[in-house]
Amino acid sequence: MSRTYLNLKGGFAVKHGYRSLLTKQSIVMVLFSVSCIAAGDQARAADYSFGDGTGKNEACIACHGNQTKVISQNYIDPKKFGHTTHAKFGCTTCHDTITSDHPAVKPGARTTSCGDCHGDTVSQYSASIHAKNAPCSGCHNPHRVNSSREIAATEMNKQCAACHSNIKITASHAKWLPQTELHLGAIACVTCHSKAENYVISIYIAKRESTGPDTKPTLLTYEELLKYSNGDNLQYLIDKNRDNYISLDELRKFNRDPSNKNIYLKAMMTPVKPTHSFQTFDNRWDCTFCHGSGPEIMQTSFLSFPEQNGTFRQVAIEKGASMDALRAIPNFYLMGSTRNGVLNGIGLLIIAGGMVMPVGHGFLRFLTRKNRK
Amino acid sequence: MSSKMVYLQPIAVRIWHWLNALGIVTLCISGAQIRFPEYVTILGSYRSAIMLHNTAGIVVALSFSIWFFYYKIVANTLDDIYIPKGSDLTTGLFRQVVFYFFSYFFGAPNPHHATPENKFNPLQKSAYLAIMFVLMPFVSLTGILLMNMGPMREIVMLVGGLTLLDTIHFLTACSLCAFIFTHVYLATLGSTPMAYIKPMWTGWEKVENHHDAENSLVDRSQAEHSH
Ligand code: HEM
Repeated sequence: MSRTYLNLKGGFAVKHGYRSLLTKQSIVMVLFSVSCIAAGDQARAADYSFGDGTGKNEACIACHGNQTKVISQNYIDPKKFGHTTHAKFGCTTCHDTITSDHPAVKPGARTTSCGDCHGDTVSQYSASIHAKNAPCSGCHNPHRVNSSREIAATEMNKQCAACHSNIKITASHAKWLPQTELHLGAIACVTCHSKAENYVISIYIAKRESTGPDTKPTLLTYEELLKYSNGDNLQYLIDKNRDNYISLDELRKFNRDPSNKNIYLKAMMTPVKPTHSFQTFDNRWDCTFCHGSGPEIMQTSFLSFPEQNGTFRQVAIEKGASMDALRAIPNFYLMGSTRNGVLNGIGLLIIAGGMVMPVGHGFLRFLTRKNRK
Repeated sequence: MSSKMVYLQPIAVRIWHWLNALGIVTLCISGAQIRFPEYVTILGSYRSAIMLHNTAGIVVALSFSIWFFYYKIVANTLDDIYIPKGSDLTTGLFRQVVFYFFSYFFGAPNPHHATPENKFNPLQKSAYLAIMFVLMPFVSLTGILLMNMGPMREIVMLVGGLTLLDTIHFLTACSLCAFIFTHVYLATLGSTPMAYIKPMWTGWEKVENHHDAENSLVDRSQAEHSH
């Protein structure tokens, strides 16, 4: 079986068997083309080309991408699927038992599984206690999977909330975690419940709602934001000088702009690379895991803009100054880590001022003690 | 030389003062751990530092209410005792500064004599006024907002956001910390180091001269009536 890995740079590393995979596809293609000639007027899978590259999935999508032609659980959103890495491999890579008689003949059970490509992830996941409660598809829909940086932390958390009720989550965290709702609203679940090691601050544009605490912030959709940008690229809402880079000044300007009074920048802490080893890690009970990490650790932050296809695109924020970026966001504060050096200096001066009397006056008092006998 | 005892510090003021002192010192230490967790670990876990800080904050805020209630409602002497009056500002401040930084070193006596209705010298008045009417309210209100970030989010945004609140909280807290050093030091400047501190504990001060003996007696009975 072929094993294809998504490597870190976003490219593909194919270990072995890619050639045989192509061969298998070609056979199916040939079969389809043959039956295409024999087919009647009814739209068939085989009526469409299965060529490499762009047109690859057209045959299937012609029906499965059309809600009037297939029942809802067989419907594939073409925009979302088209964006996935899976789409590049083509439908028949996974749906390997499909025949040219489809749709007349329903395909048999697939012989492929997620582990064929994602072997490492599957073995990591199987070792976690979570595995006996949910299969891969419990969280991931293979027809609209995105990489973790393409989805908002709020979306990730919704996956968890599908099984774990928010009420229960809040109650169990409230047993030990101060400011429970505040924490839950500002951290992706996988930040603590997966063995991720590096974190970034992801910043989203959210609706300012007067109701309740922002345990579940509502992000603005692509369409909603278009109104703010007057149809222009959403990024330029903040990146005013259009250099693909967001400076602290641009963040501040966005915050001060009165036309943004109903929206705000919502910062959340997200892992760079969540793992599938879901459990509660012991060191996460210790608040200093985050709060004692100091201003040095978390240096990276991104602004995530929604895209038309439902994913998010990250734009880097002034590098090395993530904590200052947070200061440009009036309602995010990570105690112990967002402290500011200048402010600490002023505080120290004030306290030193309080020492002037005991030290200075006390010294003279000591020297002149005889005068008061 | 004759001396007599004057009832200077009513019980409500003493309870407030020592609760407050204990509270503020606790807040400074736990606050230091909360802000600098990598360097300050004296209270054990971060969580216990937060719990202690919150508790001490509530104690201080409650005892502040005792203080205010006593002075404003029960004794109704808050304005008289705490607000510097004409002569305090024109000559009093200057006289007191000269005493502390000059004549004190040559053995001159304190130009101010504490009486129950005029407890503070002009410098004390100004300092205590700033502490009790600016720093304490600021630090408490910002603290209460920070403690209730969730439910009070709208108010927080209205006053300029979490970061600004925290900045105010931190700087006022540093000022209070600085005040403690100065205050405790000045408290030892009496005829003996404990001369001012004892009355703050027992309520009674030993006074050497007797030009206002009548007043003190009247005030003593008033003070005792008031609680
Ligand atoms: C930590 C050790 C402290 C000591 C040893 C101490 C000592 C004293 C003493 C001896 C007095 C009576 C003399 C006077 O009225 O000036 C006094 C009064 C006072 N102290 Fe302190 N203090 C301490 C902490 C604090 C703190 C933390 C605050 C406020 C943040 C504070 C605020 C005041 C005020 C406002 C008065 C005047 C009370 C009144 O009579 O209405 N003290 N303190």
